[in-house]
Amino acid sequence: MKYYFRALSLHLKSELEYRTSFIFSFLSQILVFFSYYFVIISLFLRFNNIKGFTMYEVLFCFSIIQFGFAFNEVFARGLDKFDDLIIEGGFDRILLRPKNIIIQILYNESDFVKASRLIQAIIILIISLIKLNIKWNIFKIVCIFLMLLSGILVFFSLFLLAASYCFITVQGLEVRNVFTDGGKHMAQYPIGIFSKGFVYFFTFIIPYAFVNYYPLLFVIGKSDNIYYAFSPLILFIYIIPCIIVFYLGVKRYSSVGS
Amino acid sequence: MRAYYTYFKLKFITGLQYRAAAWAGIATQFFFGFVYIMVFYAFYKSGSGNLPMEISKLCTYLWLNQALLSLVTQFYRDRELFNLIRSGNLCYEFARPKNLYFMWYFKLLGQRYANVVLRFLPLLLVTSFLPKPLNFTFPVSFNAFILFLIALLIGSFLVVALSVLYPIISLLTMNEKGIVNIFVVVADLLSGIVIPIPFFPSFLKNISKFLPFQYISDLSFRIYVGDIGIYNGLIGILIQIFWLILVIIIGYFLMKHNMKRVVVQGG
Repeated sequence: MKYYFRALSLHLKSELEYRTSFIFSFLSQILVFFSYYFVIISLFLRFNNIKGFTMYEVLFCFSIIQFGFAFNEVFARGLDKFDDLIIEGGFDRILLRPKNIIIQILYNESDFVKASRLIQAIIILIISLIKLNIKWNIFKIVCIFLMLLSGILVFFSLFLLAASYCFITVQGLEVRNVFTDGGKHMAQYPIGIFSKGFVYFFTFIIPYAFVNYYPLLFVIGKSDNIYYAFSPLILFIYIIPCIIVFYLGVKRYSSVGS
Repeated sequence: MRAYYTYFKLKFITGLQYRAAAWAGIATQFFFGFVYIMVFYAFYKSGSGNLPMEISKLCTYLWLNQALLSLVTQFYRDRELFNLIRSGNLCYEFARPKNLYFMWYFKLLGQRYANVVLRFLPLLLVTSFLPKPLNFTFPVSFNAFILFLIALLIGSFLVVALSVLYPIISLLTMNEKGIVNIFVVVADLLSGIVIPIPFFPSFLKNISKFLPFQYISDLSFRIYVGDIGIYNGLIGILIQIFWLILVIIIGYFLMKHNMKRVVVQGG
């Protein structure tokens, strides 16, 4: 882990070398992110609820998933860009080093500009929590922390799966964007508003619903079921097979040379 | 003119090669379209008045938006031109005996057409068989359809006129991120790709009236679904042509200006 943080700080320094470029990219990322919640806010200026959910409830839901995604983009960028690593043969170098493979992949690249999304997600989370009038208790606080953690885990698991797929095809799978970008896009809203098939798929196959739907119901008081508060824990189990699949992929990896 | 047409054709034919990428694109756009529509549908079902568009019209609008996305979005960028600028191969471009602005213009146009030709048909076919009112429907009338085609064509000229500005700007800034990215995001937002313009908050609707972006796709899509009548559509097309000419003139002279000051990167 020590190497991980050192590599990150090196990445940060190198990005800051081009200061104006960094600042403008940072600003542009703020705008990109703004366009995401702009949709939600302008729709709520017109409609007052979506299947019983209010604006701040949706924004709460939105901020959790965006936090998880942005966190991975900043701190696990290498995994997202894993196909580059395979194509360029950089993965061979990683295998030679006597350190943990996944951690090495993580710090292979990073994108600190995306931290602007992370910050905004946190701000929106705080604003919506303040505006929501929640009757706080210890479970709800724990639940929110679990939600944040599971948001990170769900994308980490998906990136791992996508990376494992690269071992077979070499090329990155473009359709995976449906499940990461598309899934992120969908999970901005409480999943209950979608049709049944969607809900089942994104509960049992890709468990977005356990990240920010069931716990959301608990936090905003739509449900008293205490199990909902701990449902994000499912992601801690979900990641295990993903890691196993990844290492199976590493085993059958043959270099593309370069 | 022939030379420019050849550039167009070259890029068009090259673009048609990327079929696997197109299938992935179709899948992604189908998914995104579906999510958008279900969100709107849930909003409509929650019954809280003040609806600027019928749900069936809205769905057709959104499917058109997804199917033609690679034609109308600013977010689509051409790596090649930016690489040219960064690597210094730009000097070869200067050596060519044709006007650089129109050369780039027709290259970009060809690419966009290739992208959209590969993508739009499967998406529209599949979505027209969805259950009502979520499906893609036929245009309101034959006249509207003809007008839609004209507006879409001019809109595509307009979007390319705007997107050729980005490499021109980065002739000076060297980095296409930053300023250009900001421009792209704002343009996409105001052209109604993120959400249709009728759903904008009213102050933003007023701002976008005085900008070219809503004439890229919003005008043509709304003519198609009948949200803008024939008469208003014709007026819209006149404004569209005005913007097209203006943006081309700006781009042309910006190119001339920047070319004098450009620093060719070594290598």
